[in-house]
Order: sequence, then C-alpha cells, then structure tokens
Amino acid sequence: MTSGVVAARRTLPRIALRPRLRRRELGLLLVVAAALVVGSLSLGATQRTLAAHLNGDTKPVPLLGLANPGLLAIYLGALALAHTVLTVAGRRTDQILLPTVGLLGGISLLLMERLPQTLAGGLGGLAQTQLVWLLLSLGLITTLAVAVRNDAWLRRYKYTWAAVGVGLLALVLVLGHTVNGQRLGIAVGPFTAQPSELLKVILVIFLAGYLSENQPLLVEESTRLGPIRLPPLPYLAPMVAMWAMALGIVVIERDLGAALLFFLVFLLLLYVATARVSYVALGLVAAAVGGFLVYSLLGYVRTRVDIWLNPFADPNGAGYQVVQALHAFARGGLIGTGLGNGLPLIGGNLPIPALHTDFPFAALGEELGLVGILAILGLYLVVIERGLRIAASAPDEFRAILAAGLSLVVGVQAFIILAGNLKLIPLTGITLPFISYGGSSLLANGLVVGLLIALSDRGAELPPPTPRRGNRLRRLVDRGAA
Amino acid sequence: MAERPLLLGRRVPIGTALGRVGLALAVAFGGLALGAGYWQVIRSADLSSSPDDAAVIAASRQVLRGVITDRDGKRLAWNARDSSGEPYRVYADPSLSGVIGYSSRTYGNAGLEAAWNAQLSGVASTDPLFDLTRKFRADPSDPEALQTTLVLSLQEAAVKALGDNRGAIVMLDPRSGDVLAMASTPDFDASALANPTTAAATWSSVNADPNLPLLPRATQARYVPGSIFKIVTATAALGSGAITTATSYPQQPAAEKTGLLVDGFRIHDGHHPETDGTALKFDEAVEVSCNEYFALTGLRTGGAALADWAARFGFGQSLPFDLPTAVSQVTNGGGSFGGGFSDEVELANAAYGQGETLVTPLQMALVAAAVANGGVLMTPHLVMSATGRNGTTDVAPSVWRQVMDPNVASEINAAMQLAVNGSLGRKYTFGAQVPGLTVAGKSGTAQLDPGNDPHSWFIGFAPADNPQVAIAVVVEHGGLTTRGSPIAGEMLQAWRAWANG
Repeated sequence: MTSGVVAARRTLPRIALRPRLRRRELGLLLVVAAALVVGSLSLGATQRTLAAHLNGDTKPVPLLGLANPGLLAIYLGALALAHTVLTVAGRRTDQILLPTVGLLGGISLLLMERLPQTLAGGLGGLAQTQLVWLLLSLGLITTLAVAVRNDAWLRRYKYTWAAVGVGLLALVLVLGHTVNGQRLGIAVGPFTAQPSELLKVILVIFLAGYLSENQPLLVEESTRLGPIRLPPLPYLAPMVAMWAMALGIVVIERDLGAALLFFLVFLLLLYVATARVSYVALGLVAAAVGGFLVYSLLGYVRTRVDIWLNPFADPNGAGYQVVQALHAFARGGLIGTGLGNGLPLIGGNLPIPALHTDFPFAALGEELGLVGILAILGLYLVVIERGLRIAASAPDEFRAILAAGLSLVVGVQAFIILAGNLKLIPLTGITLPFISYGGSSLLANGLVVGLLIALSDRGAELPPPTPRRGNRLRRLVDRGAA
Repeated sequence: MAERPLLLGRRVPIGTALGRVGLALAVAFGGLALGAGYWQVIRSADLSSSPDDAAVIAASRQVLRGVITDRDGKRLAWNARDSSGEPYRVYADPSLSGVIGYSSRTYGNAGLEAAWNAQLSGVASTDPLFDLTRKFRADPSDPEALQTTLVLSLQEAAVKALGDNRGAIVMLDPRSGDVLAMASTPDFDASALANPTTAAATWSSVNADPNLPLLPRATQARYVPGSIFKIVTATAALGSGAITTATSYPQQPAAEKTGLLVDGFRIHDGHHPETDGTALKFDEAVEVSCNEYFALTGLRTGGAALADWAARFGFGQSLPFDLPTAVSQVTNGGGSFGGGFSDEVELANAAYGQGETLVTPLQMALVAAAVANGGVLMTPHLVMSATGRNGTTDVAPSVWRQVMDPNVASEINAAMQLAVNGSLGRKYTFGAQVPGLTVAGKSGTAQLDPGNDPHSWFIGFAPADNPQVAIAVVVEHGGLTTRGSPIAGEMLQAWRAWANG
C-alpha cells in the first residue's frame, strides 16, 4: 500500500481538473441515502420501543427518530464528499460502484449500531470504530479513483509485488498472533492487521501482470508428460506455486478461507486469460487432491468439515455457532424481524459470538429476512458485474485481467463466507467485504474498488509500452498480430 | 484480427470468457439465494420453534416467575434483574431452602419451585379452564403467583431451633393438611444459588458439603423411627381389636430385666424402675415408652395387620404431596412372615420402631396429624391458592383417608397426653411441655448401629383437646441429649405466638 501511495503522489501533478457531472452516481447515492435513512428510522423506533419495554414504561413511545443521527450524518456526508471530489476531478469513470459499496457500508454501519457496542472497537464502541474505518475506506476509494491515472507502477513491477506478497506472508509467520486457532493477524503495538486482505490485492496485481505477459504463448503451447497434455510450463509453474501457497496458508496459518479465495481467484483468472476449461478442471482436480490431503492430515480442517456435514450433532458444543446462525436465518423468515428486533440476547450475550466478523450475514438474514438477503446478494453481483464490464472494455489484456481479478476477489470472498454461513460449504473465517467489522478488510476492499473505478476511466491515457525482457516468442506473436 | 486485438490467438475473445465467469458467479450467487431460501422459508418454522433456538431460550430466561408468598402474604420468593436485564430469583430466607428449593438458570429447579414450575413459569395453569383455552390466547404464557400454607416466622423458628444439628421439622394443621413449616438443616442460601454472579461458587460449595444441605430431609430423608412408631403399632392394635387400652402382659415386667424371648432372640429394653413389677396397661406403656409392651402388642396384632394399618397412614407409597417424597417402610418386605416381615423377631422389633422400619419426617407428622384429627388424615399440601391473569384459584383442603375410628384416635390422644404430661412421661419428653398449652406427643430415640449416636424424635400435637397443629421433629444423632422434645416445645410456643397473632 505504501508504494501505491508513493506512486499516486508521483502522478498527482498531472491531474487536470475538468469538473463533470456524475448524474447517475448522484441519483443512485440519493436512493442509497434514502434507504439508509429509512433503515435508521426503523432501527431507532425499534430501539426506543425495546428500551421502554425493558424499563417497564407503559407510556406510548415517540417512534419517529433516527437511531444514531450523528453517525449516519457523518457517513452520508462522506459519501457526498466522495461524490463531489469525483465530480470535480471530472474523470469519465464508473458511477455505479460508489453507490453500491456505499450502500453495503451503510448497511454495515446500521448493523454495528445495532449490536452491543462493547463487542469490539477502541474508539468509543463498535459503530464509531467501524465508521472511522468506513471513512478511511471511502477516502482510499476516492483518492485512488482520482489519482491513479497510470497503471505502469502496477504492471511493471509484478515480481516486486510478488516479493511484497511473500514478505507479507513471512511477516504473518514471524509477527503473527493466533486468533481462534488461526494465525490471521499481525500485531504491531496496539494495532492488529490481517495481511491476507492486502495480500489478495497484491496477488491479483501479480497475476494480471504474469498472465497477460505470458498469455499468447500459453494458448498455443502445451507441455507433454507422456500421454498427458498439460498446460505449458509458464502456466503449470504458477499453478503449482499457487497450489503450494494455498496449502501452505492452510497448514501454517490455518487460514482455510484465504487459501480457498486465492486459489479460486487464480483459477478464474487463468480461465479469463486462456479460456481453457481444461486448465480450470486440472486446477480443480489439484484443489480436490489438496483438499483431501489437508482433510486427512489436519485435525482442524477435519473438525470444520465434520461440523459442516452435521452441525446438529453437537448443537451446544462444536456446532454451536453454525447452528445458531442457521436458527438466525430461520427466525428471519421471508421479511425478517426488522432492524434491532432480532438476535435475542442470552445472559446479555449475542447468540453468535463472532457475529460482527464472521456472521454479519446471519444477523442481516434475521433482521432483514430473505428479501434483505436477496438485495444484498444483488449488491455483490452488481460489484462483480461492474468489475467484469470494466474488464471487458479494458484496452489491453493486463487491465482486463486486473479489473476482472479485482472484482472477483470481492465476489468470490463474499461467496465463500456467505456459503459458509448458509452451510453450503464448510465455514471459513474470512470477512464479508464492506459489511464485516474490521479495518483490514474495509481498507483492502476500498483499495480494490478505488482501483476498479480508476481502471474504468474511458478517457485514460494509454499505458506506456511494456518493457520487453527478451521473450522472443512473445515478440514473434506480437508481430504476427500486428 | 486488427479489429479484435484482444483475441491474440485465443479460441474465444476475452469478453466472452469474462461473460462466462460472470455467469458462473451469478449461478453461484443463485445457489446462495436458494440456500437462504431453504433456511429462511422451508426450515423457518421448525428451526425457530426448536428448544435450541436462541429466541426460545431467551424468552424462557425472560419469564418473570410468579411470586411465592406465605399464608399471611409475606413474600418468600420474588425476582430481581441482573445487569443484562434477565430476571433471577431472590428468596426471603435461607430457612426456606428445604421446602421452596431454588430456581436457577444454570442448575434448574428444586423443591416447590420445581414441583410448581409449570404454573410459576406460566406454561400451565391451576385453573383447568384456562389450560383448555390456552392455545387460542394471544399471550399463552401466564405465570401464576402462589400463596403457600407456610408461615415464614415458623419456618425461621424451625431452622433456628434445629441450630447446628442436622435434622428436620414438619409442622402442619391437622384439620386442613396445611403445612405450616417444613424445615431441613443444614439449610443453604438459595438466593446465592439463583443469582448468576454467585451461582457457580454456591453450587460447588453446597455440593461439596458433607452435611448434604441440598437434601430436603423432611420429605426425602428416611430415618429409623424408634419409639414414635409405637403410635402406628397402637393404631393397628387398637384399630384391629387385637388389644384394648386395658390390655397388659404378665410377662412384661420380668422381660424388662432379662429381655423378652422372641423366637429364641432376646429383646432388651431399658428397665423402668418406676414401674418395677407392674404389668403396664396401654396408657402407661405409652407413657414410659415400654418396648416390651409394644413388642408383645406387635406380635399379637400380627405382621399383616401392622403393615396394613401402617399403609393407611401412607407407608409403602409416595405421599400425595406437592413435593416428591421418599417411601416410608415398616419392613424391607418380601419376607415369608405376615405383612412382609421375615420373622417374629423383626415384627417384634418393628413394633417399637426398630427392625427394618424407615420413615420420613413428613410421614410421621401425618401419623400425629391423623391421631390429632380424630382419625381423619387430610391431604398434606403446600399451596393455598394460585393467582394468574384471570384471578385466583384456591386449592381446597381435602380428606385423604379415614385412618382410624375416632374413638381409637381419642384413646391414643389420651395416651400421648400422658406421655408428655404424666409424672413419668414428662421425664422422657422433657422440654415438650408448653405452659398453658396441653401438648400430646411421643418421643423416640432411634437406636442405630453401634458407635452412632441415636436419632432423637418427637411427634405430637396441640392443643390436645382441640388439636390445631401437629408436629414431627427429628434431630440426627441427637438422641443422647434427647434434643427432639425441647425443640418441639420451642416450636409449639412459636406456633402459639403466631396463632395468637
């Protein structure tokens, strides 16, 4: 991230301000603001009613009022500011992503306002802390969307990025502290961070560079191992490396979710680059083999899978969180209990301990119902669709794969945790983008969206010619294409 | 190729590949939607009504249990709220622990809290009509407040009288079966057990206590009765006509010195020098608690008759009471001799309360109550009325059994008066006398295995000519100092103070 900021600063002097109205973004943001105000009104009415009930008041409660007007005003103000900055900057960039992500973040803010404030957060409670991270994330999105006009710093130094990624992994090993048996975070002083969130962005940048550079060769060539036709070595090597890295993350960092995310995104990008189903199939076979290995060898993976297969076998022990999440979905039903009206406290504790990080979807499923769930799924699909659209209209292969990878990393991550919440796949401990509590996740996903918006600039200058590194074949193919 | 630079030797353009990836993700998210639909629509009803559901658990923890009061309306158990707003039980006094029990979120319910849990928590009603229409009501939960028959001051007095001893006291109104006091010592702090902040520590300490404070001795502990069982033998003998009050046994005075030879086994009894050489009649035998007399009476009555008459008092079955009771027994049963006794020796021993006879304090209080109430045994009960949303439902006193004829009851009553007030009897029941109140009663010293001090018993009632209170007292291993009688006297004084307002 540091080098990104440096690079962005280097491009700053070239920004020329030509304000351009972003009507569609403005319209959608107004809809988002209206939706969040309605949500806050609903939450406010519920909270006042419940509080009066607990105090034994029998007098009618004034129902009209926002839940936490200050927080909502700051958040909506930040959205408006982001919109204004983008308008003033005047780039012809995507106008859908900001409102979509803004709504997801707003839903997160409402959820955090509604949860017990003592759950986490050092800045005066859960909601206030989450708001700070949301604001920083919006700031990151806006900065990147305005400032990134040149992708050379991304495409040129792909091995540097790979080195940074490996360094991050090593950092986790050295400084990593264990949370719930997973070595997910690094702690520096009072701050903890989850490097895998940043790592996923770096991985996408590296893959975009690598796959786009080797793409022409890969489509034609193949490696023969006896009678078996394998992908050409330049694809086989990263596939083996990715597979090994994913296994390493599972074994050493016990982070099943990140491993799954990285490998799936890799396979999807491989398909985008080559359009070869057989490579993806080979990758899936490798994943199945790896999955079987870790299942047989690692107790914690086996536990996860066993809980997934039958959480009701031990509903008050190992399967507790998963079962309670399913109960929360069931309580919500079609239209939900309403914001603030679900999640019954037992002894002052939430029924699902890791609700704000691992199970926000269960909470939303209970309080917003199936209708709300479908809407949220739709929002993620919009993010994916916008990213793939930006990829499809990209001027070259690198940008196409980069944009696709950035949107997939959000979409696949959402899918993995949501499917885990719904007991479609084993539960993993990764965050729900833009909704889960936590700074690492919000900043990394802000980075993704900021880059996507920047990449969508239709008026962007063409990238400088990629420096060649003596790839004769590549040069031949290029010449032939030209 | 020049128009489609991104094809670059690909089979499909990158846009198509991106479209397919998008389609795959859309299908995956469609799967999520179906999964959500499965849990939120198809499984919604059964999951959200299961007892594991957090809302069901939370609702049960939010229930404000009905308040329990004593017969004068003093609160015995009510509710407080913890920091999270969930209610927990508070009890007026630890002395209630042996009868009211406790209701704890973590450790469940005991005592009256368990027995009347359905009414107290509002899932069942004392009013049968309400129960029938429950499912049609908008709010089917209706916790009921219970007014018990207990008297808080008597309950406190009972535990205070027992002091550091282990034991039990049951005091009831023989005319109605109302239980006025039902104490078990050592007691425990039920409030500390119900309070979530102190529950765990209290639970482990009461469970580690070798004196078993959690055992409700009045209903659940079985003791050797000793001489108080002679009242049962007397009822059987007089009721069956085996003896009259004039019956005496010529061999009895000599047997006091040498032991009574029954079937080759010698039954010994402490010699009564005051009655040296006199063949005692029934009254006198009760007054001096003559074991030989009752051994002979038991043999004359026969095992079958003794067992039958004991069963009329409730022996051999669980008592019809609010709380679960241990079954009192005359004999282990299964013997070839009449009534389940194994032989004449066991019958003769059982007739004066040794043998294999085991009784609960409540059972012996009922024996006293039946005699006191002219032979009519009222059903013992703890709850006078239950008040729910739809008003108060009274629990009316009911006759359980006519145990004996009134004339038999008055004969035994007279003998028991002599046992407390007679010039010889008062030596055995020292401390049971209450100035200005005619007490009738019978003491007992239950011999145990060698090395264990005997249990000290007293059962009785007052006023003897118009009984309004019956009592049973047992002090574990209190026999050498005969603690039972003075505690009974203390309790009857406390009762009189309460009855006189």
